[in-house]
Amino acid sequence: MASSSSAASSFGVTERRGIPAAAFVEDVETYLAQSGLDVNSSLAFLQERSAPSSLSIQLQQYKLVEMKLLAQQRDLRAKIPDIEKCLDVVATLQAKKGTGEALIADFEVSEGIYSRACIEDTDSVCLWLGANVMLDYSCEEATALLQKNLENATASLEVLVADLQFLRDQVTVTQVTIARVYNWDVHQRRTRQTAAAKDS
Amino acid sequence: MQQGNASDTEVTWEDQQNINKFGRLNNRFHELEDEIKIAKETNENLEDASNELILTDEEVVRLQIGEVFAHVPKDDVESRIEQMKEVTSKNLEKLEEEKESIVAQMAELKKILYGKFKDSINLEED
Repeated sequence: MASSSSAASSFGVTERRGIPAAAFVEDVETYLAQSGLDVNSSLAFLQERSAPSSLSIQLQQYKLVEMKLLAQQRDLRAKIPDIEKCLDVVATLQAKKGTGEALIADFEVSEGIYSRACIEDTDSVCLWLGANVMLDYSCEEATALLQKNLENATASLEVLVADLQFLRDQVTVTQVTIARVYNWDVHQRRTRQTAAAKDS
Repeated sequence: MQQGNASDTEVTWEDQQNINKFGRLNNRFHELEDEIKIAKETNENLEDASNELILTDEEVVRLQIGEVFAHVPKDDVESRIEQMKEVTSKNLEKLEEEKESIVAQMAELKKILYGKFKDSINLEED
């Protein structure tokens, strides 16, 4: 990949959490000259090292990272409503605790089969922590733990969204640079053609 | 005169930032449209639920809390549904507002970018 030099200055961050920033190109001509890439030769577009295809490799890499981040975002977005549901249940149990009456609930035993459960007044709930581990907690501790999980998940989601935005910006910058390099080359060919036409 | 030749108009860092911002807003706009659709559906479901409630003559209604259906007296369910309806409609309002502000910002940016680049840039939906 072309090394950043005075012609390709990137303002702001140079990378974010492992995602390299796309260098913004001030002037196409100096950028090409300094990276030593020869766009003039007609084969340049096909060569690995030519400007547009090396930029498109960069674009593909960005796309890969974007897929990964989008998958993570989907997972988090699914996890948050689950945690909220758990909080709901614990809150309901806590509310019932005061009244002294049992909570009757219908729950799913298997798909399409439901059974009735009578939940007595209780002080503790069991929380599934994952990895085949379930722990007993008092209602207050359970609420606190679930609340903390919810906050962590929401915070991670925010960071992820910011990462995705940064990534999309870099993709846009790279696409614009590819277009500009291409246009510059077209422009060069045209000026050379008109110059050749004038000479002949 | 060369047609649609972007190399005649130089792209400055400010232009790049505007383009980036437009891209971000566009993405957020699509996300918002999806979220608004879901919020509207939830609202409708709650409406249907409260209508059904009025029609039913059972005293105890099964209300879904988490993964289970708890037996709750009808009045509690009614007030709960009212609460949920309020939350969803406030959420919907907030989303609609955000959508409008994004549309306005995008129109502004379109004006600026088309002004500078004219034909060399395409900011329309495909």
